[in-house]
Amino acid sequence: MTVTRLDQGQRYRPRMAFLKKIETLMMEMQNPDTGIKTQTQTVMIANIPHAVTGVDIMQWILQRLQITAEEALHLGDLFVKYGYIYPLQEPKNLTLKADGSLYRFQTPYFWPVQSWAADDTDYAIYLAKKNIKRKGILEEYEKEHYSMLNQKINYKWDFVIMQAKEQYKAGKERKKEDRYALDCQERAYWLVNRTPPGMLDVLEYGLDRVTDPNENKKNTMEFYRREIMYYQQAIMKTRVKSSVSLGGVVKYSEQFLSNDPILSGCLPSNPWISDDPEFWDLNAKLVEVPTRMRVERWAFNFSELIRDPKGRQNFQLFLKKEFSGENLGFWEACEDLKYGDQSKVKEKAEEIYKLFLAPGARRWINIDGKTMGITVKGLEHPHRYVLDAAQTHIYMLMKKDSYGRYLKSPIYKEMLAKAVVPQEGVKKSTGLFGRRHLRSSPSPIILRQQEEEAKAREAANTVDITQVMSKLDRRNQPQKEAPPK
Amino acid sequence: MVKEECKALLDALNKVTACYRHMVLTIGGTSDSQNLREELKKTRQKAQELAVANRNKLTTVLKDKTVSKEDKAEFERLWVIFSTCLEILEIDMRRALELGHEFPLNVPKKHLIQTGMSGGTSGVAARAMSVQNMKYEAEHNIDVVDLKDLENEINQVGEMMYEMEMKVNVPQWTVEAKQDPGAELKSTISVGASSIGMISVEENKSFCDISKVLAGIIFTAVLLIAIVLAVCVVKLS
Repeated sequence: MTVTRLDQGQRYRPRMAFLKKIETLMMEMQNPDTGIKTQTQTVMIANIPHAVTGVDIMQWILQRLQITAEEALHLGDLFVKYGYIYPLQEPKNLTLKADGSLYRFQTPYFWPVQSWAADDTDYAIYLAKKNIKRKGILEEYEKEHYSMLNQKINYKWDFVIMQAKEQYKAGKERKKEDRYALDCQERAYWLVNRTPPGMLDVLEYGLDRVTDPNENKKNTMEFYRREIMYYQQAIMKTRVKSSVSLGGVVKYSEQFLSNDPILSGCLPSNPWISDDPEFWDLNAKLVEVPTRMRVERWAFNFSELIRDPKGRQNFQLFLKKEFSGENLGFWEACEDLKYGDQSKVKEKAEEIYKLFLAPGARRWINIDGKTMGITVKGLEHPHRYVLDAAQTHIYMLMKKDSYGRYLKSPIYKEMLAKAVVPQEGVKKSTGLFGRRHLRSSPSPIILRQQEEEAKAREAANTVDITQVMSKLDRRNQPQKEAPPK
Repeated sequence: MVKEECKALLDALNKVTACYRHMVLTIGGTSDSQNLREELKKTRQKAQELAVANRNKLTTVLKDKTVSKEDKAEFERLWVIFSTCLEILEIDMRRALELGHEFPLNVPKKHLIQTGMSGGTSGVAARAMSVQNMKYEAEHNIDVVDLKDLENEINQVGEMMYEMEMKVNVPQWTVEAKQDPGAELKSTISVGASSIGMISVEENKSFCDISKVLAGIIFTAVLLIAIVLAVCVVKLS
């Protein structure tokens, strides 16, 4: 006796509404007047009725559903794959061929059912029966299944053998042609439900579901209460008018259209087409002279400037002149904390505090007291996002204050003037024995090392206001001390 | 004696279940008819009687404390066979109910599926009922009337299974099958040589064997010729 299982989650087969729809079509096909015409199949000496040709099936579907030939063929193919119709001449090939190959309808007992799947016990009985009939000649995958089932349901095995023998004997009571047809039917059923390796298992639906689709759930008061709450919250959600959001999309698209390499082409040439990597060389992360298009892009909005490493470099130069270089330094340090090595979070956070936030720090950033309070408190238990508030504050400061001045500054204008406009590339044709000069880009490891070296140099060379002030103080102090002596 | 009786009852139930499965296969197909529905009803009722008899016998034996250990193991094995048989019977009965609803016989608009069956199932039914010939005496609309009875009987079987589970404590997985895998091959069931499917399969198999044998013969012949030539060359030089 199988132990009746408790409802503990995913137990249910999903809805299979298509099964009922296929069944109605199947039943319509049987109509002697409007259905499909049948023929007789001759096997050896026997004649077995009710065979239909593939082309007849397709034509009938085409006419009944008024769809295209391609769709009709595909739909008929699905009928065969789900096991409602089975092929007679090539039993293992479950496809519908739109020619004279013969098919027959499957008996309703073997139609797929939503409520239960093909049972292991039944499969074991079928394999045992096949063993008896074919004197032990089973396919490879069937042999594997047989031994696997023998282990899995070993306690039922005596029953399996008994039932297989009895079913075999009972089958003998029918006439020869019926026996043959029954064999074909059963074989087709198990080809659909226990697919041989390499064949598509159409009935597979992934995992079992949590809710029972056949359950008739009565909606209680609790259900309605929850539904009302949900809708009330949905009403209170903030919405943006579609005219506004669409306007935003249009504006964005217009602005960036010229920068899009697919829509507006790219100079000198698209490397994927012309095999010329010059485009990538010119647009490398920290190239000496960026392209004009890139520099113009920095003027669109602040986020464009900050996400481009070259733009950041240029902006940093400008900020140094204005003595607010620590802002961008702090921002970059926060990004590193967020996206960098998480095992070093604690050390990094402490370093940032010492360098930027502590009172009297070397590169002290100017944030308001409330934010400073929150940040210092959060630094007691540092994590990835502990500096988020301060970072946002600094970001907004740079955006609203420095960015505007940067765009009008001589540094930016100089960069714009220096920027190169690449020429339209000449398509290099390779001769018969032409060797293309393959330039490999530097390894990412080397690039990263170079970046870190550059950062270290930056950090060493940074002259900050506080350092300057402290140096001046120290120079003044000894003089002050001297006179009292 | 008790063991033999139990075994005989179980064999009978097994036989009737197999025949019932055979008959349910044909519902909705072209050999479906009022006779089939009547056969189904009779087989089903016989199956239920046998099931009740089996259950009574086995429960008395399993509750008996004076049974020896090997006997108890044997009876537990029989119990497991019995409960699996009953499960299969219940599933088939449910299927029969569904199919009975879908394929009522006297409605002119609903046509039976052309499954290629032409003969009847009276032989199978006769085997199930252990009679020589089946007698049909039911009314015309048995297919509709019977469905109500079928529903009740399914409920009865379900209840019986539940009771059995509650009253008798036999963990299924401790039972070991007596028969090895492949035991069915050693059975003395004669396979009818006139079965159509077998012929085509056998032909294929023998063809393959012949080609393999031929290949072997040719290969050995070539090898022999090569050896003879080598010997000649050695001798002449």
